[in-house]
Amino acid sequence: MPIKYLRVTFRGGLVRLNLHLLGLAIASAGVPSLHAQFSFTLDGRPVQVHSFFSQGFGYSNDNNYLTMKTSQGSFAMTEAGLNASMQVTDRLRIGAQVYDRNIGNLGAWHPQLDWAVADYRFKDWLGVRGGVVKTVFGLENETQDEECLHTFALLPQSVYATDLRDAWLRHRGGDLYGEIPLRGLGSLSYTGWAGLRQDSRYGGYPYLLSVLGARFDSYGGLQVGGDVRWNTPLRGLVAGASRMSQDIDGKGTWYLTPGLFPIPEPMLIPYQEHTIRDWTHQFYGQYSAGNWRLASEYRRYWRDQRTFNDMWEIRSDVRGWYVSAAYRLTKQLEVGSYYSRWVVTWSNSVPGSIQGSPDQDAPDRHVYDKVVTARFDLNHHWHVKVEGHFMDGYGATWGFPSGFYQQDNPDGLKPKTNLLLIRTGWNF
Amino acid sequence: MRPTKIGKILGSATVWSGLTLAAFGADVRVIANPNVRASTLSTDELKSIFLETKTSLSDGSHVEPVVLRSGDVHHAFVSQFLGKTDAALETYYRTLVFTGRGLMPKALASDDEMVRYVAKTKGAVGYVSATAPVTGVKIVAIK
Repeated sequence: MPIKYLRVTFRGGLVRLNLHLLGLAIASAGVPSLHAQFSFTLDGRPVQVHSFFSQGFGYSNDNNYLTMKTSQGSFAMTEAGLNASMQVTDRLRIGAQVYDRNIGNLGAWHPQLDWAVADYRFKDWLGVRGGVVKTVFGLENETQDEECLHTFALLPQSVYATDLRDAWLRHRGGDLYGEIPLRGLGSLSYTGWAGLRQDSRYGGYPYLLSVLGARFDSYGGLQVGGDVRWNTPLRGLVAGASRMSQDIDGKGTWYLTPGLFPIPEPMLIPYQEHTIRDWTHQFYGQYSAGNWRLASEYRRYWRDQRTFNDMWEIRSDVRGWYVSAAYRLTKQLEVGSYYSRWVVTWSNSVPGSIQGSPDQDAPDRHVYDKVVTARFDLNHHWHVKVEGHFMDGYGATWGFPSGFYQQDNPDGLKPKTNLLLIRTGWNF
Repeated sequence: MRPTKIGKILGSATVWSGLTLAAFGADVRVIANPNVRASTLSTDELKSIFLETKTSLSDGSHVEPVVLRSGDVHHAFVSQFLGKTDAALETYYRTLVFTGRGLMPKALASDDEMVRYVAKTKGAVGYVSATAPVTGVKIVAIK
């Protein structure tokens, strides 16, 4: 149907708005009250607009982390998103979100369509959604970009690695979902999905391989999985499990240089890699009571990938878990802490190359992270977080993204990293 | 009516009697648009409506939640029926909004606004102070 009119309601008032001024209005809106909304009506139906912005600063003692120059102090930690959603009918909702980030060399200010969904609910126990869909996987997978939703400035990287967000974050496909009451035993929420993953070129894995001259034009493939969570009869207690299988192809170019390879002159050749086997399991639990929130998750990721034009096979068995606790002391102040443990076992078939150490206590096999944080909510829409990370180990810098990269640490990595992280965010 | 003990909040017992909840010194009454056919909801149903996992009742009525922005009545309702703090509920709704799984519910500043909005909005379910005039809406018993 044609758009008949456009009107904007904001904080109870009505403003007639020129369409061309919409972007400016969104950017400049101040929203001091709880649940404040920026909305307009499109042919009589309300459209909600929401946005978030986050800016961080990281400072570490030695190693550079997450592709930022944190050892010198880095402000290269920015994320932003803008979405619009509308309820078309009682059962049908549509919406989309654009997201952009620049975290060191990750994201590089290339905006992405974060999600664009049509969601139709037949019954409470059966709904379908399709399009670009955020993947339900564990407690925080869908929200890992939205720092404003979390107590912590950085989610536990053992499970929600910032440099690998594209691997699990969303799929282009469809979900079946619903919630089934269990008569006195709480309820069961389920989601099953199938779709295609399409990674940004500016993620951690392309960055890892770029040190060897590989550059991806495309990286992605089929993902199939599901999530089941039990909302137990004990108020505030949730337990669940997720599973995903993937079949991933990467294509691009490979710039071979004499320094790295036994060739007389530089060469540019096609590059491709593909999955032999790739799956992830995740188990989780969360308990909220009063001002307390306790959570724990375990993820195991198995990846067997034939890389570098089928020459080398790289196997990674990544296991991560964390326990976290957060407590809201006052309306303005929440404190929290977590312990995150990430261990990788990896091997490759490259003759004479560096292999993963057999010793799990070696710093190239793990990252253990002790974290304390304080979150200050200056108002309902603006917060500041101050967080300390005390990390042991730096993971497999040749085999699997772990937050620490060789190209950012050309003089080698120290076994311990202390990191101060300050993030401020705004949302409405 | 038979008084029923419904829980303990911040160390003080609250008593539910008839259609009114007393907690934190605030008496809460659940209201709905007259086109919502049900006159009684279970606490699980009410929670599911406000967490947006339930959009229709067993009789087929479409329902949508309406919340107050703040205040004792809001605090009492959120704590007692949703089992969350005000901040946790706000985060929950933002999670829906930023992941594409739902919309922010309509939020109103006063009982008077709430009653007027619920009265004119098909499927709306909200809550007000027990002493608020409730013309044009139906009062829903919570069992």
